[in-house]
Amino acid sequence: MKTMRWSRISPQAALMPAVAVTLVAFVGSILWTVYLSFTRSRRLPEYGIDWSEWGRQYNRLFRDAGWEISLRNLIVLGLGSALAIVFGFILAAMIDKEKRGESLFRTVFLYPLAVSLIVTGAAWRWILNPTLGAQSFLRGLGWQVDFNWLAQPDTAMYAIILASVWQSAGFYMALMLAGLKGINSEIWSAAKLDGVPLWRLYVEIVIPMMKFTFITCAILLSLGVIKAYDVVVAMTNGGPGQSTWVPAYFTINALSAKSNLGYASAAAVMMLIITLVVFVPLVALTAWQQRKGVAR
Amino acid sequence: MSQISVTQRAAGAAEVPVSRAPYFPRKKKGISPQSIAIIVFLSMCALFFCIPLYVVVVTSFKTMDQIREGAIFALPQVWTLDAWDHAWNKACSGINCNGLKVGFWNSVMILFPSLALSIGLSMVTGYALALWNVRWAGGFLFLLFICAFVPFQIIMYPLIVMTSTAKVYGTLWGVAIIHAVLAMPVLTLIFRNYYKDIPQEIMSAAVMDSGSFWKIFIEIILPMSGNILIVVLILQITNIWNDYLIGVTFGGLNGQPMTVNLANLVTISTGTTNYAHNMAAALLTAIPPLVVYFVVGKLFVQGVTSGAIKG
Repeated sequence: MKTMRWSRISPQAALMPAVAVTLVAFVGSILWTVYLSFTRSRRLPEYGIDWSEWGRQYNRLFRDAGWEISLRNLIVLGLGSALAIVFGFILAAMIDKEKRGESLFRTVFLYPLAVSLIVTGAAWRWILNPTLGAQSFLRGLGWQVDFNWLAQPDTAMYAIILASVWQSAGFYMALMLAGLKGINSEIWSAAKLDGVPLWRLYVEIVIPMMKFTFITCAILLSLGVIKAYDVVVAMTNGGPGQSTWVPAYFTINALSAKSNLGYASAAAVMMLIITLVVFVPLVALTAWQQRKGVAR
Repeated sequence: MSQISVTQRAAGAAEVPVSRAPYFPRKKKGISPQSIAIIVFLSMCALFFCIPLYVVVVTSFKTMDQIREGAIFALPQVWTLDAWDHAWNKACSGINCNGLKVGFWNSVMILFPSLALSIGLSMVTGYALALWNVRWAGGFLFLLFICAFVPFQIIMYPLIVMTSTAKVYGTLWGVAIIHAVLAMPVLTLIFRNYYKDIPQEIMSAAVMDSGSFWKIFIEIILPMSGNILIVVLILQITNIWNDYLIGVTFGGLNGQPMTVNLANLVTISTGTTNYAHNMAAALLTAIPPLVVYFVVGKLFVQGVTSGAIKG
């Protein structure tokens, strides 16, 4: 009898630390930040809310050119990084089709993922160095290329995209390869017998079958893009000017460099809202796909 | 992560109906033009992926004189370890010029407590959620799922206040604890997914045997957790080692990991930059996770894809 009682209580007791962490560090902290975003807090928190203008931090935020740049860059980075999914799929499809050298190619394409984004940024920053890097090498070969992306405001984002695609394409390749291997091998033989061209097979059958994998990749990509911070710091540190600011950078800059707590909180809340807006439909879609998959 | 189980199931299913159907003629031995084209394309991509590593390695062995000549892809004329020595012993991060070795040992000291805390906590939580009937488990799992996606910025300031109240802000312990806290939701979901496949019969038998919650955990569950433990370990080692944001936010002046030192080094804008030093520093920072990657490559893939949710 005694053991029965204990077996009821101990699992719940064992869950308490995790519950406490969740409620304090996540739920409580989110509410705290949301509350702060309505206050006039600057360097130090202020807990009075002036209800006549509770949305002042948000008003300021929406008028801030830096925030607008951040949002625009978020979209640019999202679209640019999506290349990593496309690239990852192409690599996976080729590796899957041609089994020779599979493990070698997989190893090479995936190693950037093991490395810190700060290291990735440092490496690409060096390659993109205008006077000593790849540009001077290519010009030495007689090609008049302009590869000086980092120093120019309108191209600096490309450099960040290049580094992020390089870092993450292998990861999407690994996910896609798993998805491709899950496809019934009879499809390939059937298509061969029917004489269907390979590209049509991919577009009309393989890619639709891998919907679930693609949605997963899209979720991970959008989360990665919203969280993108390290790579910006290592590549450009937000510059030139504010040209490579992204919301994650904007928020931390508002908190640390400008020490404006209320403002940073408002930006952080907007980040959470962006995450939810992107994330909820995608997760709903995944859940729906998964249910369909189980039913099948 | 359910992604993984789905694909594995699908892969398993694909293998059962024998795919090597006998009525197809055997593949010819030679290499078709299509194969050659694919291999050439893949090799070119592989080259592109190797360029940064090659450039970093080569530069780290060059002298500054040679670097100024501008041939970034050239091999060093004289191979020298000066840059490595400088990066490790003398590189400046802020006002301290004790080299990256300070940050390296900080990273090591952050890594171990953080691994123990995060894995210990989420393992027990995952076990309790998967195998014991807790009425509110479903709701809690959903909450954890949401937490796994929350951007760090929205909980950053409250966590700074909490850690400084607890007097761990700016210490290695502070960084380690924050890592453990932030990893808890994802790791719990991973462990829970793994444990929920343990047959209910085993659990019933264990409970009948008057096994208590902890006794079952230690005598039955722990010995069954080898695989998932290794996967999670790899995931966490690379995550913690490669982190920058948490280190720079919670490390203060004395608890900064190696990545923060490296970032200070490469983003510095005053004086002339010594690229050899920077590249040696980048390599030193990259070596530990790269070693993990090359030693346990296959498990690494499993690790990152099962933790894929973290992005």
